[in-house]
Amino acid sequence: MEFLTTLVNGLSLGGIYAMIALGYTMVYGIAKMLNFAHGDIIMVGGYMILLFLPINPIVAIIAAMIFCMILGIVVEKLAYKPLRGASPLAVLITAIGVSYLLQSIAQMAFGSAPKFITVAAKLGIDGKMLHIGGLSIGYSTIITLVCSIVVMIALSLFVKYTKTGRAMVAVSEDKGAAQLMGINVNSIIMITFAIGSVLAALASVFFLLKAPTMNPTFGSLPGIKAFTAAVIGGIGSIPGAMLGGILLGIVECFAQAVPAISPYTDAIEFSILIILLLVKPAGLLGKKRREKV
Amino acid sequence: MKKITKFLALSLCLIMLVGCFAACGAKKENVIVIGLTGPLTGGASIYGIAVKNSAQLAVDEINAAGGLNGINFKLDMRDDEHKAENVENLYNGLIEDGMQVSLGTVTTKPGLEFKNLSKEDNVFFLTPSATGDAIPEFANGYQMCFADSNQGTAAAKYFNETYKGKKIGIFYKADDEYSKGIYDNFKKNLDTSFVVAEASFTGEASTFDSQINLLKDCEIVFMPIYYTPASQFMVQAKDVANSITTYYGCDGFDGIDAIDGFDINSIPQEVSMLSHFNSTATEGPAADFIKKYNDKYDEAKEPLNQFGAAAYDCVYAIYEALKVAIANGKDVDANTSASDMCEILKEVFNSDTFEFRGITGKCEGTEKSHISWSDDGTVVKEAIKYIVKEKTAA
Repeated sequence: MEFLTTLVNGLSLGGIYAMIALGYTMVYGIAKMLNFAHGDIIMVGGYMILLFLPINPIVAIIAAMIFCMILGIVVEKLAYKPLRGASPLAVLITAIGVSYLLQSIAQMAFGSAPKFITVAAKLGIDGKMLHIGGLSIGYSTIITLVCSIVVMIALSLFVKYTKTGRAMVAVSEDKGAAQLMGINVNSIIMITFAIGSVLAALASVFFLLKAPTMNPTFGSLPGIKAFTAAVIGGIGSIPGAMLGGILLGIVECFAQAVPAISPYTDAIEFSILIILLLVKPAGLLGKKRREKV
Repeated sequence: MKKITKFLALSLCLIMLVGCFAACGAKKENVIVIGLTGPLTGGASIYGIAVKNSAQLAVDEINAAGGLNGINFKLDMRDDEHKAENVENLYNGLIEDGMQVSLGTVTTKPGLEFKNLSKEDNVFFLTPSATGDAIPEFANGYQMCFADSNQGTAAAKYFNETYKGKKIGIFYKADDEYSKGIYDNFKKNLDTSFVVAEASFTGEASTFDSQINLLKDCEIVFMPIYYTPASQFMVQAKDVANSITTYYGCDGFDGIDAIDGFDINSIPQEVSMLSHFNSTATEGPAADFIKKYNDKYDEAKEPLNQFGAAAYDCVYAIYEALKVAIANGKDVDANTSASDMCEILKEVFNSDTFEFRGITGKCEGTEKSHISWSDDGTVVKEAIKYIVKEKTAA
């Protein structure tokens, strides 16, 4: 029973990580850059929910998604687009700069003390448990699990069967050729950022269902973990990000469930990354590309 | 082009010269500079900001009342972001800008660096809230807060007497000097007859499903952690952990009932803590201080906690000690070097007769608390155990 409870918790945490990892991996696949400000979009999403929660929880969630989408696009347009073609290092530093900027703005606007954002209570699912046999799982865990699966399936279908989705694949395969085929690379990159940011906003909803607090530096740890998940799965690969996220979530929950190794949970997670990179440098599902030097 | 470069270089030189003179001019100001570092941004900034505000409050009060025989105090606080690697640069900056006496650091991790640096220059520091056992290791270091080992030992003693035969849980932060320090001493002094379940976390974790699973069958949970993760744990555990009756925290719990949006009354269990400051005080010196703080600062954005109260006491303790020194015929003015100041203050703080009356520690009615220091730099005052929230009747 303990085992099953931990597994379900791990799956739902993994679902959240997967959702954030998708943002990293899609942006990397298409714009060839690491958007380190992605984690902070989660934090912004959380604060947006805080602002709109008094009206209605559902409205708040939608407002957060829309706001994050716009924020993602604005960040891309203002910070990253002028650097297209610049060295990857310049883009990376800019991304880190954007991350700190968002954190500082949040601290100025909301203060550094953590805020409680009780989405679960407002949705009326606070503390409600589902009992199956001897297993009791919180409603919020189930919602997280179901939603993340739905989102992942929807995203896979979107990429596979819609025109925009296939254009995204094309851009990630070969930007130059895609442009020659009449694909507007700039708008595809913009759409990628928009989708990634909406997913980040959703992730913040699920984080708030699990733990109802938000502070300005909240996004950095889930951000870096989801990035790890994306690399484990093979950065640039959408199924890889899902697999990596879920794997990392399960490892985290099981490591925390054993008192003797629980202090080293983060270390274990990141060691997995190092070991995996030694054995399989492209990640679990990543494509091996020959680099021309 | 060359001309412009030359002109630019010349004008830059001039600006630097002017800056130099300006700096020399500033030195002549008739003030004693109190320096410290603490987190003003980042995850631990609630503590640093409370310390800054409270210390400033004390400095302003003293200056408004005429200062130390006409010499004013000046507070110089730098942002260490709760990171030890930032301390060296900040410390050097403070020394260059004329720090004569210090409040050390707000938190323990940077404090361990600060104590080494200040030892070399022989700078006196009295930290409001760096509770690490190693902080007052050298002769120039003093604490206003209880050291970790004292807190852990005191809590274990309380548990041995009060909770015999119950199953207790411990929830601590494994990568935090403060939490780990209390945890180690608590375990060492705890009666071996207890059944103990342990869980821990690291970093800025906020979801505690696995830890709650480990602790849910305990009756009393001891949590030597700061209030943010503690409140998160309680909220997440309230529907699962039915057998828990009491949460017991240390001074890091202070202010838990004031977290924005956190309704402590939604927690069914009793929440208690052992501390040196009662932040819910409604009368006496502690309450007066709380009122003064909230009149001056925005309670919602920059909430007060015991870190701030201790900082307020620190500034006054240094002020009182310098007054005693002057009464004893010592020479103290705006030009006294940090090292001389250190010798003067050490002598006062180590003397058996010096007793400071403050707002932290146990205040009897309207009387201020009695605070003194041992020769090893740790504080001697009475702790207060108080119930933040009673158990809700089921």
